[in-house]
Parts: sequence; C-alpha cells; structure tokens
Amino acid sequence: MTGQGAAPEVLVIGIGPSLRGDDSAGPLAVARWRERRTAESRPPVEVVCLEAPGLGLLEVMAGARRVVLVDAVRSGAPPGSVHSMTAEALAAFKSDSRSAHGWGVGETLALARLVCPERLPEDLNIVGIEIENLDPGQELSPAVAASLEAAADLIEGLVQGQPAAAQVLSA
Amino acid sequence: MKTIQVPALARVEGEGGLFVRLEGEQVAELKLNIYEPPRFFEGFLKGRHFQEIPDITARICGICPVAYQMSSVLALEQALGVTVTDEINALRRLFYAAEYIESHALHMFMLQAPDLLGHQSALSLAAENPELVKKALRLKKIGNDLLKTVGGRSVHPVNACVGGFYRWPKAHALQALIPDLSWGLEAASETFLWAAELDFPDFEEDYEWVALHSDSRYAVMEGSVRSSIHGDLDVADFQRDYVEFQVPHSTALHSHGRDGGPYMVGPLARLNLNFEQLRPEAASLAARVGLSVPIKNPYKALLARGLELVQSYAEALEIVRAFQPSGPSHVPVEPRSGEGAGASEAPRGLLFHHYRLDEAGLVETARIVPPTAQNLARIEADLRGMLPGIAGLPDDDISLACEALVRAYDPCISCSTHFLTLDLERQ
Repeated sequence: MTGQGAAPEVLVIGIGPSLRGDDSAGPLAVARWRERRTAESRPPVEVVCLEAPGLGLLEVMAGARRVVLVDAVRSGAPPGSVHSMTAEALAAFKSDSRSAHGWGVGETLALARLVCPERLPEDLNIVGIEIENLDPGQELSPAVAASLEAAADLIEGLVQGQPAAAQVLSA
Repeated sequence: MKTIQVPALARVEGEGGLFVRLEGEQVAELKLNIYEPPRFFEGFLKGRHFQEIPDITARICGICPVAYQMSSVLALEQALGVTVTDEINALRRLFYAAEYIESHALHMFMLQAPDLLGHQSALSLAAENPELVKKALRLKKIGNDLLKTVGGRSVHPVNACVGGFYRWPKAHALQALIPDLSWGLEAASETFLWAAELDFPDFEEDYEWVALHSDSRYAVMEGSVRSSIHGDLDVADFQRDYVEFQVPHSTALHSHGRDGGPYMVGPLARLNLNFEQLRPEAASLAARVGLSVPIKNPYKALLARGLELVQSYAEALEIVRAFQPSGPSHVPVEPRSGEGAGASEAPRGLLFHHYRLDEAGLVETARIVPPTAQNLARIEADLRGMLPGIAGLPDDDISLACEALVRAYDPCISCSTHFLTLDLERQ
C-alpha cells in the first residue's frame, strides 16, 4: 500500500492470486502502470494489490471516493481483451461466485449495493482483463502478457478522470 | 439416455465439477472433480529456506491462510527442534480465532444459509433480510480486523514465522477491538440460536470422524489425531494410516482411512470428538437447545460452525484482554537437517503438513494434505447415499440437493478451482 506524497485522490486496486497463471493479470497490469508514475505524477493515488479479498474488498474501499479496480475476467471475448466497465456492467460477467477469488468481485459489489450502498465509492470503474490459462505458476499466456500495456493505458485514463465509456480494447 | 445441464454449483469456494449418471434410481456413476493446487505448491516449496515457507503457504488459500501458515510452522518447528513460549502460543490461538470468525461467518450466512432458507443466493437472502446479512458482514469484518491487527495484513498475513511472530501486535490496537469482540460474542450466540431453529434436510450417515483432540482444550493446534473408530494417533503417524490415492476423474487426491474407506474432517468431526472441551460460553448454548453428540447429519455442520464462532469470539476476547507480552515475539531458530509433521484444524478440517529439511534449512520434500481433499471421498459417498432417495424429483431439484450437500461441507476449492458445473445424465 503506497501513497505518493499528497493525500490520495484515487484508489487503484489490483485483484488476483500471484501463482495462478493469468489470474494475476490484475495486479500485473497495476504494476505495469505504476512503473510509469513518478512522485510528481498527478493526481496522487493509493495502490493496493490483493490476492483474494472476497468480502474484504468492501473494507479496502471504505472511505475512498474514486476507485479503479483491475481484475481478471472471463466473458468469452478473446484472451487479452481489456474491458472497461462500470460496477453495474460487471453483473454481465461471470466473474462472480465462480471466481477463483472465493467470494467474487461481482457478487461482493452486488451485495454491497443491496445492504450497505453507503460503503461503495461514488465513482467506481473496473478494468477487466480477459484471461485464458489458470494453471498454477507465474506464467502468463502470451495474449494476456501482451495486453498489460493496453490495460495500463486504460488505468491511467481512468485515474486522470477520463469518462469510462463501456468499451472493449480487442486483443 | 438424456443428458441434462443444470446450473453451476455456486457458493462453493472455487472450482470443480460434479457428474452424476442415474439408471433409474441407482447411481451408475458419480464423479466429483476438483482441481487442487497444494500439489503444485509442494513442488514450489522445494529448495526454499524454511523461513520462506509460512509466507508461501499462506498464499495457497485466500480463505484460510492462517491454517496453512500454522500447520507449516508447527511442522517446521518440529523438524528444527524448536519450542515456542506460552505467550506466542496464545497469540497463535488469537490469530487462528480470527480466521475461524471470518471463515465461519462467511459460510454460515453467505454460503449455507441460503440453501436452508430456500434462497438462490446470499443476494436474494440479502434482499429479503438485509439486517441478517448486515450482521453477517459485521461479524466477518471483526475477524478481518483482528487478523489484520495480529497478522499485519488481512488477506495474506505476513507476521507469522517459524519460531513465533516477527513482532508483537500493538496492545492498544488489540484492546481497541474489545467493544467489537464483545458485540461479536453476543451476536454469534444469537446466530447459533437462530441456526438451531433452521430446518435441516433429513439425512444421516454413519461416519468415521477425524480431528485433532486434546484433553485440555478444544484442539486447533495441539493434541493427537483422534478417529471416532480407531482412537488416537500421533500427528507424525498420520500419513501412515490416512492414505491419499489418485482417482482418474480428479486432479485432487482422495483419502481413505485405516479401513480403506472414506472419513470426515471439519467442524462436525471436531464437535463430535471434542464436545467435552467446548468453552462454557458454547457448551451452555448447546445445552440450551438440547444439542448432543454425535451429530450424524452433515448439514448440521452449520451448528458446529455456530458453536465454534461463539468459542472463537470468547477466546479472542480472553486473549486480547490478557495480552501483555513480556518476552520476545519469536524464539531463535537455527537451521539443521531434520523432518517434522504438523497439523492444525483449518476451519474446514484437519490440515496436515510434513517437511524434510537439509543442513542449511532448505526444504527437500514437502507434503500438504488439505481438508477438502480428505473430504472428497466422503462427499461422494454421501451423494451416493442421498441420490436414490431423491431420484424421482425433477432434475433441477436433484441438482439443488446435490449442491446443498456439497456446500454443507464448505469445500474450500478456492485453493483449487474455478467452475463447479454439474452434469446430470439419466438412463
């Protein structure tokens, strides 16, 4: 968890286990994006990478107004596709209870909307990286490895406050 | 013959598949297929320094990292001839209590309760009864806060090490949790009384239960391995009597006990074998609802989780109130060659680790026997026992009943798996 100087305005969260093939795409994309930033980069951000937060995601986001969440998804699009979504659109993805993250991101957000909407950030955007291989290990499949730059571009755009039209950047 | 696709088996932590082929009322074929990564981790641990192991094994499971850390440190401490102090053991129990709180609160409310209340998911339950779900979230969050305070981080804690903890948690940070823990003890007690009123499916089997047992306390990290049939066994002899074997349809190994048959680990096994050791807070609740052991209905593991949730809050409160460490947070550990076995009771059941180290303290061999893999053969046997009685129901109902039974075991396939889809074939 790192603040960069001034009080963070945006919380960037990468989600995914580090030893499960492409499932680590979220944290790796966040790491790629971070390499581009310096202490002077604006706006100030806070960065958190989590392997399997489950419902704990709500605690991690507590108090944050703007959040960019970066996670692996499977929707049937070609591996390496990068999706930009709002939290509502995430419901269309099957990353919910079947996610290897235990209690999935989609389900956690849906539950929070029902019972404690006040705990959700006002501005929540999700970057989803379409994955392929979930075999144990640190190897990424080539299409997913090649998508990390595009995902990093999208994270930067969202951090800069560019509007997140639902879009898919094809692999 | 017809093949029927039924909904995915959700609310199981992870991925797997269940295939059932019925011929009339008879089960012709039944395969619970689960993909298991601890096997991969065993290879990944080879050549690593012993002090790296707790941090790596914590990553096997996002739901029960403490169990993996504790079983590994117990095994490694035995290999290295290390004994830790009472203060360290107390903090380990607190650490473990935090994990029970998180895991049990999640399973009881979010994973199993929807089945017992006729809901499709915790989401529909939340829509109908938001207060219940809010209470669940708070019960769980307190476990999360406790885990973070003791373990340094809430998801993959980093503070535990071979020999103890890298540093003591701040006493004031722990004490700040006392009001929440007191609320949690009360709320957990209400939760158990609520659970005791639920309508459980009518199904019983004769089980061999296997769990750690100690005469002095409800065993989580101590004692010997007790079987309801065969009595007690040293942890070091566990792999001699409880044998893993491969089945063609699963990458996870299955396990059989001394008789060559399936056995059950987990909260029900623990409660049935350690009922006398329940703390008074939990024992009085059990008495209040007239609960006695053995409980042979696998769905009623929910009640065992309920009592363990009460115990975990009670124990956490006791340890936090007394927390005032005077000695070092870890004892010195020198590398040496040796081997050691360790077991602890993960929320889902007995988790066994065995390591052999070389003179430099590097891992030569590692063996991890997770609770869910041990239960797989037992779950299959339960499904075989249940299916003839419900074979006349519509496919969707059969599917739901199978799912509910699997979920009652709280299989942590999250260390393992992605999709648990159910295929049902009829002939």
